[in-house]
Amino acid sequence: MLKTEKILHLKSSRGRKVRVVREHYLREYVPCYSSLCQADCNNGGKVLPGDVTHYVVPDVGVVQDFLEVLEFAELRGIVFMQTACQSVQQHRGRRLYNRLRSLVKDPRHDCVLFSNEFQLYSYCPRERGEALEKWHTRSVYHAAVWYYNHLAGLKPIVMITEDREAIEEYSSLNSGVYVISTQEYLESFWPDLQAAHELYASIAQALREKGSEVREREYAEHLPSDILEAGIKSGRYIQGVLNVNKHRAQAEAFVRIEGSSNKNAELNSDVLVFGGKLRNRAVHGDVVAVELLSRAEWRGRTMALSDGEGEDRQGEEPQGQPMPTGRVVGILQRNWRDYVVTFPPREEIQSQSRNSQRILVTPWDYRIPKIRISTQQAEALQDQRVVVRLDSWDSSSLFPNGHFVRVLGRVGQLETEVATILVENSIQVPPFSEAQLREMPVIPTDSRWDVEPEQVLGRRDLRQTHLVFSVDPQGCEDVDDTLSLLKSGNSAWTCEILDFSDTAGITGRNTVRVEISCLRATTYYLADRRYDMLPAVLSADLCSLLGGVDRYAMSMLWELDGQTLAVRRVWLGRTVIRSSYQLHYELAQSLLDGGAAEELPELGGLGPPEREERLGELRRALETLTHVARHLRAQRDRGGALELEGVEVRAQLDEERNITALVPRQPLEVHETVAECMIFANHWAAKKIHESFPHEALLRHHPPPRQEYFAELRECARARGFTIDTQSNKALAASLDRAQDPRDSLVNKLLRMMATQAMANAQYFCTGACPRDQHYHYGLALEHYTHFTSPIRRYADVIVHRLLTAAIQKEQGREVSESPCSNKELQELAQHINNRNRAAQHAQKQSTELFQCLYFRDKDPLTDERCTADGVIYAIRANGVLVFVPRYGVRAAAYLRSREGQVLSLRHDGSCEWQPGSLQRFPDRICTSTAEGTHTFSLFDHVSVRISVRPSRCHADSLCLEVVSNRPHESGGPEARAGQRAAAGKAELVQEVVRWAEEASQLAEEQGRAPALQGEEQEFQQSSGITLYSLLQEIRELALLDPSACQQ
Amino acid sequence: NMAGLELLSDQGYRLDGRKPSELRKVQARMGVFAQGDGSAYIEQGNTKALAVVYGPHEVRGSRGKALHDRAVINCQFSMATFSTAERKRRPHGDRKSSEVSQHLKQTFEAAILTQLYPRSQIDIYVKILQSDGGNYSASVNAATLAVIDAGIPLRDYVCACSAGFVEDTPLADLCHAEEAGGGTVLSLALLPQGGQIALLQMDARLHQDHLDTLMEAAMTACRSLSTVLDRVVREHLQEVTTLTAE
Repeated sequence: MLKTEKILHLKSSRGRKVRVVREHYLREYVPCYSSLCQADCNNGGKVLPGDVTHYVVPDVGVVQDFLEVLEFAELRGIVFMQTACQSVQQHRGRRLYNRLRSLVKDPRHDCVLFSNEFQLYSYCPRERGEALEKWHTRSVYHAAVWYYNHLAGLKPIVMITEDREAIEEYSSLNSGVYVISTQEYLESFWPDLQAAHELYASIAQALREKGSEVREREYAEHLPSDILEAGIKSGRYIQGVLNVNKHRAQAEAFVRIEGSSNKNAELNSDVLVFGGKLRNRAVHGDVVAVELLSRAEWRGRTMALSDGEGEDRQGEEPQGQPMPTGRVVGILQRNWRDYVVTFPPREEIQSQSRNSQRILVTPWDYRIPKIRISTQQAEALQDQRVVVRLDSWDSSSLFPNGHFVRVLGRVGQLETEVATILVENSIQVPPFSEAQLREMPVIPTDSRWDVEPEQVLGRRDLRQTHLVFSVDPQGCEDVDDTLSLLKSGNSAWTCEILDFSDTAGITGRNTVRVEISCLRATTYYLADRRYDMLPAVLSADLCSLLGGVDRYAMSMLWELDGQTLAVRRVWLGRTVIRSSYQLHYELAQSLLDGGAAEELPELGGLGPPEREERLGELRRALETLTHVARHLRAQRDRGGALELEGVEVRAQLDEERNITALVPRQPLEVHETVAECMIFANHWAAKKIHESFPHEALLRHHPPPRQEYFAELRECARARGFTIDTQSNKALAASLDRAQDPRDSLVNKLLRMMATQAMANAQYFCTGACPRDQHYHYGLALEHYTHFTSPIRRYADVIVHRLLTAAIQKEQGREVSESPCSNKELQELAQHINNRNRAAQHAQKQSTELFQCLYFRDKDPLTDERCTADGVIYAIRANGVLVFVPRYGVRAAAYLRSREGQVLSLRHDGSCEWQPGSLQRFPDRICTSTAEGTHTFSLFDHVSVRISVRPSRCHADSLCLEVVSNRPHESGGPEARAGQRAAAGKAELVQEVVRWAEEASQLAEEQGRAPALQGEEQEFQQSSGITLYSLLQEIRELALLDPSACQQ
Repeated sequence: NMAGLELLSDQGYRLDGRKPSELRKVQARMGVFAQGDGSAYIEQGNTKALAVVYGPHEVRGSRGKALHDRAVINCQFSMATFSTAERKRRPHGDRKSSEVSQHLKQTFEAAILTQLYPRSQIDIYVKILQSDGGNYSASVNAATLAVIDAGIPLRDYVCACSAGFVEDTPLADLCHAEEAGGGTVLSLALLPQGGQIALLQMDARLHQDHLDTLMEAAMTACRSLSTVLDRVVREHLQEVTTLTAE
């Protein structure tokens, strides 16, 4: 019964001079995790392959200091000893330990952990008076010898260490176990792995220099962690995440307070940390403890625009209301990541290099302080973007110490800049590894992949009964949702069906590809490329619901009442479908509008009568869907759903990847139809899993925003005479609808944009980890919401599919299955996906900005017509205004006071010039006074701006605007503008009518209106492709509109 | 600094090298003293307990305490001053010890066939000689052996064991380091044959959904313990019979 044999062991840990005796159980069978094992170890999970030349066992010191080198996937066959892992945990902290843990778990790395201290024969007790380091090295060596013998000498073992004495002591003891230094190991076994050599050298140098110098203190010491913990509990210190102001990185940082449990009632805002001394070595993103200064020392945030070059002219800049101000007393958790940096120009290196090889490099991210690194290759790394990691920041050093990791490429090249964006957002998208691709189903080139008959038996077959089609953006490769419609014979019932690719069914659990998709968590879309979550075989073929082929699907079928459109019945389950048509948005819209459908390839081989019949069928289906979607939308509107605005511009590239134009998206009604159906499906999926697993469902919520964030919106609206009621989402939606300026439709868009900015992002969460009243989705006005419709490109959807499958099984009583994931697992997963999503959004935004800059880079702002555009002022600052340029979707600052102190004055024709004068700022306008007179720029004024690129060596290029005239800029001819108005007007018209009709609850009247509507639609139909002007949603954030519209 | 301890590693080992469901090594001896009516000594890992039983005898002190239909059980739990890493100031009479005494009393009232001895008293004294987690459990197990040694009829062995819960995995028989982390600790005293629970106690929060798995783990541990205790009793009997035969 009791399997353990016990060897009692004294282990005295002198925490407080207490002798603690702990038991230590040893066993004979501890899995070795090697495929060469001769003793039938119980090796579950990852095992070391047998095809490497040797196994390598790193010593404790190597794991502690050079773990990064071991992270190279090329170094295969690493056996981490438990002794080393435990010492990392005890001496290097959680962060490094977790990194080691995830390395061991990562299926792409051939490394395992051997629990040597629990093995009867590999364990050696610490001797009396033996130094800890000596004992560690002895344990690791002893374990390495055991490992060698355990594998019956099949594989030579190399132990690498930094301890010279150990090499002398052990290297000649055993024939199969070699003990060499890390450097020697890299040189003799991996001579070609240049990156590893460089990384090793740079870490080693950083370590050497760390010990060598002692200087005077630059910063106050941090408090020890137990004092911090006690202080935070007692309310003396405040815990939060440090957020550096991007525009004033040297001076301003804010600490966002976590949770609402602070006892200090007056603390309802962030805490300002002003200046580098008070910030006390905290870096953007760190979790810090701050102590508040006395009220007399509080200051306000700076309201002036800054050009981000980091020159601070203190004192003369106007400040806002004094706010809580504090100083950092300790750091609870460093959140350092990889940083992209640029080396200073050659001259500066020479002046710096007087003290050894240390060089101050400038990070790409403004918010990160300069980093001191020691390297010999400064010359070679000129004009390159380089990845570095931070090592330490002592109180004696003005800047943090770091080490060089790898080179990304030359500054200014597209590939380099895209790689920079990826690194800065911690996005890792290595190509899919062999192991993953090996797991993929193989499709012979001459035949098609087909469904398996036994799989079909367990699924509902919709291939014959339903008309299925998909609507996606043109050129889209991953089709993961289709629509379908069935009108039953007596026509009183409508049956609407949505199908989603059954990715979860194809990707089994616990396989390498699931791991990788979990790691990526989402497909990353950049302006010119995308990084798929799943390998192409899956995402573009097997899981893609392509036209004319059989595919597995997860379908949701609703039976709606023919009159009231109320949901009668819902069916959810796995199916087999065959999509008949693969439409794209423009085509679907033209079908809806009654246009011809010559493009439909699916109807190619048919005779005219049959063709007409099929076409009519499809058109009727589309019309019914639109009808239903309008109804659903109106229903949500009554609940208080918001319609929000964002801008999205897509760069059009030619073959050589040069940018030919910036094209905004065109909103079509069919976009909304598809989106509405998706929202409906997501909503029902959320309902279902929430019912089946009340504590283990992955949902998505959108917390209600804080009222004070709406202050700016209300202020702006008041400038135009609108009142915005922000009390509830319904009131907000209604007042935004009312805030319509008949002369300028942009006002409304801008107000909606501001409303979006005031809100928090929607996030995934697990129902067990969040109180019930926080499940609400504010933006969509739905009680439960989740993501279910795009399993190809979002990992959350895969999880939801799995939950749904379990829910169906539970319902059928096939097995009393628990939820597939535990609450804790799901919550961690939700956090991970949220993080990745945020990174994906940032990356997308930054890459769009990058392309905007690339677009303007080669154009001369003074002569090129395209560089001057119409802009709208949407915010007032102390020395300038923020301008939105709808044509390019650019938002940037325009200064009204130059660096020389001159202000902008207007000539009679409205054009501008710089003159000496003064500025006066009001909430809704800003006035420049010069000898010529006083000129006013108000909110929502249209101005002409000239766009130019401000190049930057170390950071991303940025666009800068200059007001050239206070009149709107006329461009592109009048017809283009008319087209824009029409485009903007049309969708609203349709919505307006539907809303009105719904409120009257008179369906007949609505139907009566439909023909008239269609007439208007035809009249205002867009001239396709020419208009460069429109607005679209920031939908990925809020998923208010169609998720698939964002696909490439 | 408690956060530094990883109670269950990714490889599925606990701090001391046990797997989640494994118990510590148990060693026990009965009849260690001649004076008392029954006595026993038990080691569960590094937790060592000594139990002595007197009685049944007349009710001592005030006669009012006597019950007309069954025996009174009097339990006293104490810890040796040298039992913990830091010397204990008050070896008995503190709140914790009184609480454990009370729990022991409840446990044995449920297990001993008290109705056979009306108007009498049974004393159970337990001393912890070395403490390394699971004091209550060790006391119950030691007392069971001592009661058997005293020849007092029991319904069944009473076996006690603790269990904790870490990362969705129940851990059986916690040691001191695992108890001190502030996590859930469940102590269970079981009459294994009938599966009746004599005492159940839990500290710290636990999600309701996990309670069943935790209880199941503790009960399995108690059953394993009962086989050990049974073996000890049989061996002791064998020893005694061979001795008396000579």
